Amino acid sequence: MKRIKRRAMLKGTIFGGTVAIGLPMLDAMLPRTGAAQTGTAPKRIVFWFTANGTRQDIWSPSANMDLNGHPLHAAMAPFSNKLIFLDGVDQDVAYDSIGDGHQTGMACVLTNAEILPGSLFCEGNCDAGNEQYVGWGGGQSVDQYIADEIAKDIFTKFKSLELGVQVRSSSVWSRMSYSAPDQPVPPREDPNQNFTDFFSDLDSDPFALQLIQRRRKSVLDAVMDDHAAFQNRLGYDDKQKLEKHLQSIRDLERRLDVTTNFGEACATPELSLPGGSFEQNDMYPVTGKAQMDMLVMALACDLTRVASLQWSRSVSGVRFNWVPQTYDEGHHGLSHYDDSDENAKADLLEINKWYSEQFAYLLGLMDGIQEGDNTLLDNTVVVWVNELGKGNSHTRRDIPFILAGGCQGYFRTGQHIDFGGEPHGKLLVSLTHAMDKPVNTFGVEQYSQGPLSGLT
Amino acid sequence: MLPQRIKYCVLFCAACLTGCTGAIGGGGESAVNDSVAKSLCVVDTPIRRLTRFEYNNTVRDLLGDTTDPANVLPPEEEVAGFNNQAAALTSSDLLIELYMKVAEDVSARAVGKIGTLLADCDPALDGNDACALSFIEDFGARAFRRPLSQAEVERLKSVFDWAVNEPDLGRFEDGIQVVIEATLQSPFFLYRAELGAETPIEGDVVPFTSWEMATKLSYMLWNTMPDDALFAAAEADELRTPEQISAQASRMLDDDKARDLIRNFHTQWLLLTHLDSVTKDTGVYPAYDDSLRPLWKEEIQTFVEHVILEGDGSLRSLLTADYSFMNEELASFYGEDVLDSVTGPEFRRVQLDPDRRAGFLSSAGLMATHANANQSSPVFRGKFVREQLMCNTLPPPPNDLVIEPPELDPNKTTKEQFEEIGANPACAGCHTLMNPIGFIFEHYDGVGQWRDQQNGKSIDATGEVIQTDDIDGVYDGAVELADALAGSTQVQECVASQWFRFAYNRTVTQEDSCSVEQLNDVFRASNFNVKALLVALTQTNAFLYRRAVELEPDATGGGQ
Repeated sequence: MKRIKRRAMLKGTIFGGTVAIGLPMLDAMLPRTGAAQTGTAPKRIVFWFTANGTRQDIWSPSANMDLNGHPLHAAMAPFSNKLIFLDGVDQDVAYDSIGDGHQTGMACVLTNAEILPGSLFCEGNCDAGNEQYVGWGGGQSVDQYIADEIAKDIFTKFKSLELGVQVRSSSVWSRMSYSAPDQPVPPREDPNQNFTDFFSDLDSDPFALQLIQRRRKSVLDAVMDDHAAFQNRLGYDDKQKLEKHLQSIRDLERRLDVTTNFGEACATPELSLPGGSFEQNDMYPVTGKAQMDMLVMALACDLTRVASLQWSRSVSGVRFNWVPQTYDEGHHGLSHYDDSDENAKADLLEINKWYSEQFAYLLGLMDGIQEGDNTLLDNTVVVWVNELGKGNSHTRRDIPFILAGGCQGYFRTGQHIDFGGEPHGKLLVSLTHAMDKPVNTFGVEQYSQGPLSGLT
Repeated sequence: MLPQRIKYCVLFCAACLTGCTGAIGGGGESAVNDSVAKSLCVVDTPIRRLTRFEYNNTVRDLLGDTTDPANVLPPEEEVAGFNNQAAALTSSDLLIELYMKVAEDVSARAVGKIGTLLADCDPALDGNDACALSFIEDFGARAFRRPLSQAEVERLKSVFDWAVNEPDLGRFEDGIQVVIEATLQSPFFLYRAELGAETPIEGDVVPFTSWEMATKLSYMLWNTMPDDALFAAAEADELRTPEQISAQASRMLDDDKARDLIRNFHTQWLLLTHLDSVTKDTGVYPAYDDSLRPLWKEEIQTFVEHVILEGDGSLRSLLTADYSFMNEELASFYGEDVLDSVTGPEFRRVQLDPDRRAGFLSSAGLMATHANANQSSPVFRGKFVREQLMCNTLPPPPNDLVIEPPELDPNKTTKEQFEEIGANPACAGCHTLMNPIGFIFEHYDGVGQWRDQQNGKSIDATGEVIQTDDIDGVYDGAVELADALAGSTQVQECVASQWFRFAYNRTVTQEDSCSVEQLNDVFRASNFNVKALLVALTQTNAFLYRRAVELEPDATGGGQ
């Protein structure tokens, strides 16, 4: 990996304001314990979530993987030799789990674990006589597992980065990442905040940065002492709650030492967003684009090796006013019409086509970043997941999984495979192998006996 | 395929009737042994971290920071209808990272006006150390809501010392700044720990210390930290008896800060947050404009705040009052339903046509929220009354039921269309509970404006309410229904239980039965005065006591 030129200026415009950051002196910025590069770019993994299933009837590519003219995926045609379409991969565990279709689809998709019992969220499908409540997801998600494993070898500025676009409130319907059973990981939704959090370290004065690090250490040391004193007075449950909090502080403190290790293409993304709140429905596309731009740059700068971008949430009610729509309804409502309703089908086509275009945009950014002989995309596997197969039936079978990028040649891309009903836990196992953190099973063993065959 | 769905729906909804009615709580199965606590309706009090709203209010009162800095934190987990439920508030790496950044921002702003932080200590005259120590003791006690231990003072002083000895910092202000940073990230600031006094009143039942009680009262009734009077009472140990506590509660409800409580509760109970995302088809409703949404919300909030804090405070008035609060734009939207003329952007009290409007229930904001973009929704409105006012639970339609809302039919009223759907046996099981209640609101169109006709036909706003505890019957129009709801024991007890959940930050459990009974009794005796209910919430055993903390024998704890 080559280094960037000194004093490159980074520019971005966020919500009307302009940000310009001078890149630091690299020598002073070299990490003490961080991710020193030795010529080979690292592997990365990115999860990409969209909601409410897809148009399963037209989702699959043609046999020759030519995506030109495909009703959904035409925009991805330039990358077709870097893609794998997976048909016939089911979320079997979701059918064993308590919880409604969306809840299980969401909480199981990256965990392959059943939802925990609990009294937090009413199940959409309350059965005879009882109100059924469920808790949070019941296992660590595969992204967090891989991130934890990587952190054993190397420290990046962020262990993982979870980005969201209008995910909004926090519930079992809106969380797919879990650091442990019962411990959901919230995504970062505010592009302004993200810009600061990711790139403000690229300060022109490394000494000021070191001072911030010393200061934070000093403060956090005192805070941790308070935690110890507090925990001594608590009962078991409260103590667990606090221990989680304390663990996060420890991790935060350890990462203070880590500074950015620039790749050749590392530069602050050019962001240009009109005024207005990122939470408004119609800001969805621009917010998403900003998040994609920052996500790719975060990878190029090696701020993290594990990331996700969650578009909305299960039961997403986003109104796609920026694509042709017949019905004036949110995505979830549209996904519930009968298969015979051509208007709704046309609307869903436009929605899912738009998501494919966004996916193509992300792949384009990643493929445009050269890392030695490979591109960033080649060094990465991007995994498109969905909580459902199709909205109106809530099926969690035949989830529209797509892999993009070969993860440094681990995956044999440019193919479409119909697995004919393999459990999706095997896909999660495959991903751990691709990232060189192999496990034999992930989550529920019964549904994750080894990796999927044919992918490599 | 379809017959299966029908069967499922009927079975499932028939069940929900018996399953929902009158079920206050019931879910709690915390394994309480045969303790004294149980017999006295006393439970554990879990620690709870401040919500974003409470954090914002707290730094406002602690440091004069009015920037709502906690808004950047991840949203609270929302369960049982409220965002302040202790059991659901989780922690995450992102939250902790942002706590750090927010604390840095707040402390940087605070030392910008260092003079206001140091009451009567001048570092130049009295010396850095003396002023630092007095700041730490004073500020620390307000931030932790109790006096600091000697070890805590020393800990913060060492942070101060670090900064003034750091070559690149070195100023007195730098020391104060890092002290504030550390304090705002301390668990003693971020969490409310009400661990109880040491001496039990009986068995495993302990009261709270006066300091803890000050915090309990203040976050419950103000959603913020205690004021000077509460701190003074705590210092004098005068928050011990129920009388002392109720006197404070009454004082607090007369304070302006109680407005935050009333607004916060009603925003959540009446689902006013949903108002922000309302969209309407302006082809169908030319009177609609997005600028109406904040006005609708403000109307409801001003109204409930007035009724409870300045009016007669009764549930009946909330449901049936014939007045409201509007500015010119909103009044002109309501048209002739408003009997007074209103000019200008300020909200003022207005008289409403008592035949058309009653309390918050028929407000345009609620009616518009519980409607579709292009038509009213008897389903949503009926569901709102069932769930929010009667504490029924109506689960969403079954997983595999395909829902097709009716196309607009220019020859029928909305009621006629929904009656056709309701007649479908697949849906009748559930929808006979909701739709007829919704029909009673049919005089209000999809944006909440009054109508006498729709598609050339007269509005029929009659509907039959069934399967309630005490108000079954046919009603014609929302005014009539609101009157019945105001007199319904089911509604009164539902309101009390909503307040319980919100105020105590937890669901009602079986162990709470005597506390719930006590609340219902006081509410009834006060003629359903909400203020009286709020004071009563400070008088239950569930509030006054807790089970003593069970410390683990080996303090290090197991696990990972």
